[in-house]
Amino acid sequence: MPSLLVLIPLFGIILLNLPFRRLNEKYVFWFAVFLLSVQILFTISHHSLFWQQGMGYIDSFFKVDFAIDSLSFIMLLCIAIVSMVSLSVSRYTIPDPRERFKFINLLMIAAIGMNGIVITKDLFSLYVFLEITALSSVVLIAFQKDMNALEGAFKYLILSSIATIMMLFSIALILLVSPGTSFAVIAAALKESPNSAVIIFAMGIFICGLFIKGGLVPFHGWLPDAYTAAPSAVSILLAGIVTKVCGIYTAIRVIAFVFGFNEVIKSLFMFIGLFSILIGALAALGQKDLKRLLAYSSISQVGYIILGFGTGTALGMAGAVFHIFNHAVFKSLLFVNAAAVEKRIGSSDLDRMGGLSYRMPITGSTSVIGVLSTCGIPPLAGFWSKLVIIIALWQSGHYMYGTIAVLASILTLAYLLLMQRKAFFGKLPKELENLKDLKEVGPEFTLPSIILAMITISVGVFFPFVFDKFVVPIKSIFMQ
Amino acid sequence: MLTNVLLLPITVPTAAALLILMLPKKFRAAIDAISLFGSFLILLLSILLFKRNLSYSMPALGFGIEFSLRLYHFSGFIVLAAAFFVFLITLYSNAFLREKSYSKQFYVYLLLSLAFINGAVLSDNLVSMLFFWEGMLITLFGMIYIGGKRSFKTATKAFIIAGVGDLCLMLGVAICFYISGTLAISKLHIPISGIGGAAFILLMMGAIAKAGSMPFHTWIPDAAIDAPLPFMAIVPASFEKLLGIYFLSRISLDIFEMSPDSWASMTLMIIGSITIVFAVSMALIQKNYKRLLSYHAISQVGYMILGIGTLVPAGIVGGLFHMINNVMYKSCLFLTGGAVEKQAGTTDLEKLGGLKKYMPVTFICYVITAASISGVPPFNGFFSKELVCEGALERGFIFYLAAIIGAFLTAASFLKLGHAAFLDKSKNGKLPIKEAPIRMLIPMIAIAALCVLFGVWNSLPLKLFIQPILGQERLGGRDFSGMPHNSLLVVITIMVLLGALLNHRYGVKKHGSGLKAAEHIHHAPVLSYIFNKAENGYFDPYNIGLNISYGFSKVAFLFDRAIDWVYNVFIIKVSKVFTAAARSLNDGSYKSYIIWSLLATGAVVIFLIKSMIGA
Repeated sequence: MPSLLVLIPLFGIILLNLPFRRLNEKYVFWFAVFLLSVQILFTISHHSLFWQQGMGYIDSFFKVDFAIDSLSFIMLLCIAIVSMVSLSVSRYTIPDPRERFKFINLLMIAAIGMNGIVITKDLFSLYVFLEITALSSVVLIAFQKDMNALEGAFKYLILSSIATIMMLFSIALILLVSPGTSFAVIAAALKESPNSAVIIFAMGIFICGLFIKGGLVPFHGWLPDAYTAAPSAVSILLAGIVTKVCGIYTAIRVIAFVFGFNEVIKSLFMFIGLFSILIGALAALGQKDLKRLLAYSSISQVGYIILGFGTGTALGMAGAVFHIFNHAVFKSLLFVNAAAVEKRIGSSDLDRMGGLSYRMPITGSTSVIGVLSTCGIPPLAGFWSKLVIIIALWQSGHYMYGTIAVLASILTLAYLLLMQRKAFFGKLPKELENLKDLKEVGPEFTLPSIILAMITISVGVFFPFVFDKFVVPIKSIFMQ
Repeated sequence: MLTNVLLLPITVPTAAALLILMLPKKFRAAIDAISLFGSFLILLLSILLFKRNLSYSMPALGFGIEFSLRLYHFSGFIVLAAAFFVFLITLYSNAFLREKSYSKQFYVYLLLSLAFINGAVLSDNLVSMLFFWEGMLITLFGMIYIGGKRSFKTATKAFIIAGVGDLCLMLGVAICFYISGTLAISKLHIPISGIGGAAFILLMMGAIAKAGSMPFHTWIPDAAIDAPLPFMAIVPASFEKLLGIYFLSRISLDIFEMSPDSWASMTLMIIGSITIVFAVSMALIQKNYKRLLSYHAISQVGYMILGIGTLVPAGIVGGLFHMINNVMYKSCLFLTGGAVEKQAGTTDLEKLGGLKKYMPVTFICYVITAASISGVPPFNGFFSKELVCEGALERGFIFYLAAIIGAFLTAASFLKLGHAAFLDKSKNGKLPIKEAPIRMLIPMIAIAALCVLFGVWNSLPLKLFIQPILGQERLGGRDFSGMPHNSLLVVITIMVLLGALLNHRYGVKKHGSGLKAAEHIHHAPVLSYIFNKAENGYFDPYNIGLNISYGFSKVAFLFDRAIDWVYNVFIIKVSKVFTAAARSLNDGSYKSYIIWSLLATGAVVIFLIKSMIGA
């Protein structure tokens, strides 16, 4: 009954918006928390009846694949975790209940869109869910309605529309050779007529649309502006999951299961991946703004995912999916901490920070874990996924790519340590010392930080278990 | 169930050590009692275990790594000897360490060392042996470290030198596993050619480093000054000899297939001879009671290595017999040194003298053990040295010569030591000095008596302990007990001893005191230069290693600067360029973003079409 992941939030939101606005404003937060925790619970227990039961007509209406594979499980888990974190942060950053009500509605719509993307097995439904997610994200970015927010939202809107137009156009072209839009039908049709220029053009623009959505270099222009302009809670959502589901997951699903791999596509993905890693890292090295730095870091990490995926081997793709999960965890962690800092000192300018660890010890120390995991320091989770990706590169004979990827993690270390040192270590500047309420924000921030840090540590420490339970199943679905 | 008895030699000392560790320092009497009782218990246990054959095995880590123990004649003998000396040293330390603040820690380390040495000796698996062997490193460091303020440096030195030896051992174990695919010691039979030779060299280095042979010896003289005295009597004098020589004979006799005409045997004999001659020469010129003894602790290892290295029955029996004899007289000599230190307040020979009058029992013990170590008949050292000489002569005259020179210099240095400390006129203002307390005397007397017993009735130790180690087959039906077979060698030895006495008389006459009896050798033309360099640590591999590593650090520092430049200057410049580029790319205008994206899309599409249609 995976369709329920879309249906229940949808009807829930509709119902909540009809009568008793006042009352609903109070309980909508807990309603969302409840839905997301149910989603987490179900995704963790793969074998429950929930996943094996089809829903007949409803499934076919949403073009939902009720036999969900491990790849989708991981993504559903990430969606639920990150949305939960974003929800928790919003409870503090958006104090007005009416505003928060709107925010949570939009968040749930975005979650519906993402869940839909993950569970559908139809290219056109995929497009529809992508649009749902994109539109709700645009409104979320513009949530504060100030100049910056509107500008960021506008850029995202324009670029995202270009991407969706390209995808829609691509689907139209694909329909020239394919009798339907479901994944299996298209895959079968493409196999028969592979090498016509029109179809390759369609595939090309579809992939580029995904690159724009995923924010890969040189399609990334909108991303730093949007991440920086958005409210903290939205930055977490965007960086942690939206771009990953809309861009990266979709690319993995569509390339691996619909278009099919060939050497050209592999080399394209690996090149774009490496390019994103390097440009993202180098650009991050020179940023003065904490959120902007994290945005570029996000581009660089997405590069790793695409690089691992581009190897085309089962191990590389499993590593990429594992890195998506780890990235969702540690990047949300860093963004939560950034949000906490921004809340307390009223700016995200790194030059104005320093020594914050003394006043915000939990934020400071969880940030260290996030930083180390991002850089791939053993035994944290990020180390293992990077290791898997690099091993995959090595096994598939891409020694050059592997070497550069390893060296680039030194750059990662450089900019993140720079960030950590400027923000959390060292001495408190004079003007911050007089700030009276420079302390931990509250459980809305620290609790997610601690939980995310624990996830990072335990995934890393119990890696053999995680490898068995999550990575090997993912590997096996790519084997076919 | 019966096999679990084998665990007791390891668990009982550990339990006793932990018990002591839990007691507060104030309960001095309880600590003394527990350590004494614990070591007595282990002594009883090892007597019961001696002459039995047991084995115990428990799977541990897989990959051939098992926790397996095997008790047979040889390991039972070493366990018994270790327990015996620990018991005596504990008795001695109860008196000696009375006013010392670190006595509790000392007992803990001592008992743990005993557990480790028992574990290492009983292990039938190279990895579990390695585990216990490395454990000794910790207690070694700890026991030296507690000695005083200056002992930290010495402890570090000992730790590093022993660590290097252990590293060799570890590599050797890895190679053994690589060659034969098993880690069980009793199943290993490796020919010493090719990579097997490398394994032998590495394992041998580990063994002789533990035994304190050259060139792994330099921490011992330093520790003699800095570490607590009972440590010297038990660790460098007993434990390390027992364990190191035990393992050396295991690898030479069991693990590797060696024949007397192999290069490995030659290597061992050369190391042994060099160690004998050089260490004893250094001993001769020392002016401190304990430091002089410590050089003998090194030089005597040379005899054992030489003896085992000959690989002829006489040599091996001699080497092993020398091991147990050396443990006895050397620890007893250190104990007399401790008695002198405690009663006279110093071990500096310049300040000592005339102790014979005040400490007659100590003096007698000294005389007996010094005679033993010098190889005076009929004490035990004489018989084992004769056997080593006999084996060495069988292999080559030069080795025999080294043994004889060693005997000469040993005798000379002990004449000097005895003369300076006990016979010369007293130079110490603090009079009168009393005899040492009874609890310190008992171990000394017991060991001295054993020295006499093992000499006069040498068939007891040889037939009970030593010869069964080789077995009838290897012995070829020969029996080495009783008087030495080669009377010519005995005559030469006695002449050498007389020569040493004459030399001593000459030196005393020339310089006027016992302390300076060896000055004419010390200041001989070329020798004085070498001696001075050696005393200043020029030949100390540790110092050489330190200098090399300082040089390396300087290079590394420059390299580090270069890397720093890359990070601090180069990368920042590069990243500034890239950041500027990224900024201009991200000029905030959505138009340029669109243009970039569309251009890139065009490029991607063209790339795909060109290369896929082309293919």
